[in-house]
Amino acid sequence: MIKVFHMPEIFLFRQSSMVLLLLLAVFLTDTAMAENKQPALIAGVSHEVALRLGERMYREGILPSGEPMQAVVEGDIPVDGKMFSCVSCHQRSGMGSYEGRVITLPINSTNLYRPLSPMGDLSRSARDKMPQWLLTGDTRPAYTDETLALVLRAGGDPGGRTINDIMPRYFLNDRDMEIMIYYLKNLSPELSPGVNATTLHLATVITEDVSRQDREAMLLPLQRYAEGWGKSRHLELRAKKGPFTDEIMNKGYRKLRLSVWDLKGQPESWKSQLEEYYRNDPVFALLGGISTGEWGPIHTFCEDHKIPAILPVTDFPVISDSDWYTLYFSKGLYQEGEAAAKYLRRLEHIPDTVSVVQVFRNNRSGLALSNAFRKTWEGFAHPSPANRMLGQDEVITPDLWRKLTALHKDSIMLLWLDAKDLSAVGSIAEVLDRPKMVFASSSLLGEKLYSLPDSVRSFFYITYPYRLPQEEKRYKTTTETWLKNNQIPVTNLKTQSKMYFISSLLTTPLTMIQSNYYRDYFLELLDMMEDQTYTIAIYPRLSFGPGQRYASKGCYIVQLGNGPQPELIPRSDWVIY
Amino acid sequence: MTTHKAFSLLILLFAPVFVFSAAAVQAATEQKYIRTVENYVVPDVTLVNQNGLKVRLRTLLSSDKPVLVDFIFTTCTTICPVLSANFSNFQRKLGPESSKVQLVSISIDPEHDTPEAMKSYLENRYTAKPGWDFLTGSKKDIDLVIKAFDAYSQNKMAHLPLILLRSMTDNRWIRIYGLIGTAELIREYQKALK
Repeated sequence: MIKVFHMPEIFLFRQSSMVLLLLLAVFLTDTAMAENKQPALIAGVSHEVALRLGERMYREGILPSGEPMQAVVEGDIPVDGKMFSCVSCHQRSGMGSYEGRVITLPINSTNLYRPLSPMGDLSRSARDKMPQWLLTGDTRPAYTDETLALVLRAGGDPGGRTINDIMPRYFLNDRDMEIMIYYLKNLSPELSPGVNATTLHLATVITEDVSRQDREAMLLPLQRYAEGWGKSRHLELRAKKGPFTDEIMNKGYRKLRLSVWDLKGQPESWKSQLEEYYRNDPVFALLGGISTGEWGPIHTFCEDHKIPAILPVTDFPVISDSDWYTLYFSKGLYQEGEAAAKYLRRLEHIPDTVSVVQVFRNNRSGLALSNAFRKTWEGFAHPSPANRMLGQDEVITPDLWRKLTALHKDSIMLLWLDAKDLSAVGSIAEVLDRPKMVFASSSLLGEKLYSLPDSVRSFFYITYPYRLPQEEKRYKTTTETWLKNNQIPVTNLKTQSKMYFISSLLTTPLTMIQSNYYRDYFLELLDMMEDQTYTIAIYPRLSFGPGQRYASKGCYIVQLGNGPQPELIPRSDWVIY
Repeated sequence: MTTHKAFSLLILLFAPVFVFSAAAVQAATEQKYIRTVENYVVPDVTLVNQNGLKVRLRTLLSSDKPVLVDFIFTTCTTICPVLSANFSNFQRKLGPESSKVQLVSISIDPEHDTPEAMKSYLENRYTAKPGWDFLTGSKKDIDLVIKAFDAYSQNKMAHLPLILLRSMTDNRWIRIYGLIGTAELIREYQKALK
């Protein structure tokens, strides 16, 4: 079932060559379904229950009995399902992975029950182009239920070889084995919706609160990318007429078709709008997208339909450790509240019992920031912060600032308010006995951040979830050049640099996926991407990893320098622990 | 995929050797790991452990106890779970003696691996006993450490299966490259004590 290859020491690979090996590994896939004549019941349970139980074994390492699966790796290391399970190496899609010089080959249903050969489903003409020595490799016969059970228990494959010890030898009774095999037979059995022989269909979601300018800043780069994908390098032609390596590399080439899904009205109505769009024209994945408000309904729609959503522009991602299908740039405003708590916790002169007061409005921004701070702060076993929620129509006057400041003079104040609310914040400096530290969010202040009065700059600390302005110039040039080459005017460089990043990120997974257009596999290929620092102008680093769904992990705490064009002075590292 | 021609060449060079050849599997089976003895200079950096406490790496690694080090990350798919299962089993096999050995796992994905994530990894997944610390830190400091131990990979998904043991006789480092079982690890540990 599973081939895991150790790389001999002599060959030390760079990422590119590891990627290629995975490419070859998945190239061995074909599209024929295994013969699948199943009895009415599987191990005494319905097919549906068997799939659910099998999925739990595969993904969580839990047996139908509720106990962890038990196995042995490397000859004598006992492992249980809590440590790792099938999904760790073979991934949700079953399409395998590469890591640490170990390649885990695909085990989805189409691969197990057919011979594995060096030629895979290469065309006759491509085979004719291949050197003979490349065609003499080993062939693994198709698995049967019996040989599959044997390899899971003892590591022997149908070709008579023993597979590497890194593949666990599982202790499974006959019933559990039957369920596991049934699950594997149904793992990624057919390609996901939204793709045909020529075209990969994608969509981008835009909510109606977004300004025309911001809409175009998000949309135009994606449209240019979709229109141009593969054309300049003639990928389609090379797959048909190039050397056999070109067929391997490009046989999965599809043109990209990008639809725009405009959402109107209240968020409660978005679900039905999305369902209708999807019913009429199913897509493989969502790309980018933008909203000034919440993203939750779109996130939930993607979870429900198992649709990858790649890097939407939103300040309000859904914060979850377990949801799978939406990859965000960051946690948005939540990340800033979290960073403030982590920064404060690390200050040695701040006692654990310090009182903290959060001032915010009862709106999405105020709630996101204050909840993030509270949750993180309490997680460090600090007392809950006090909350001063401003009324809907409550105007913040200089007098209110003076009163609030006097009332909380011994506290640390977090002002999760926008630039308008903070317009009279200079009044705080007039109070002699005032809080020693005040925090605010750069995302809420916007460009007004740089207009904070000189009088407050010595005790104002700002959460700043981007690359520092003094460091971003050379990275911006890359985005600006790309926009210029694509005849797109620079209107909102933050959003446009995010979209440029998407376009640079997608090239590798769209190549590596070949013809294996499984949504889970697409996400897994993104998970395996190398950390990115150069192609993204606005973040110091975007990093990926299996199941990681927030690519930017950091947020500076900064203070303002002096003068009308102040520098942002970092008071923390990018990532605060 | 800008270096397409180079990629094609790599396919020609490596694919038959590794992907299609049973001999590659056999070779790997026969030679499970490579053992060398190295001189490493531990960078003077301060990292953060799974309890959120700052740890001076030089101090931890020059402990009076035997020290074993590996490089892992919490969302790792293939290599780290086996390395960690081995550390866990090593502690179990050593029994009470395990408290006299310092195990150190250093994150190679430090921006994601927060103290909270590392604590959960150690306690919930690998039932770690006292004496096994998991360290994270700034990307810059972590890179210094990984490079000092000749364990650097630009992409964490291509990282090395390594365990390092500090020799108790001359403070040099025994470098185990490749995945090994617990019996082999204990043998190497006992050699490092002598």
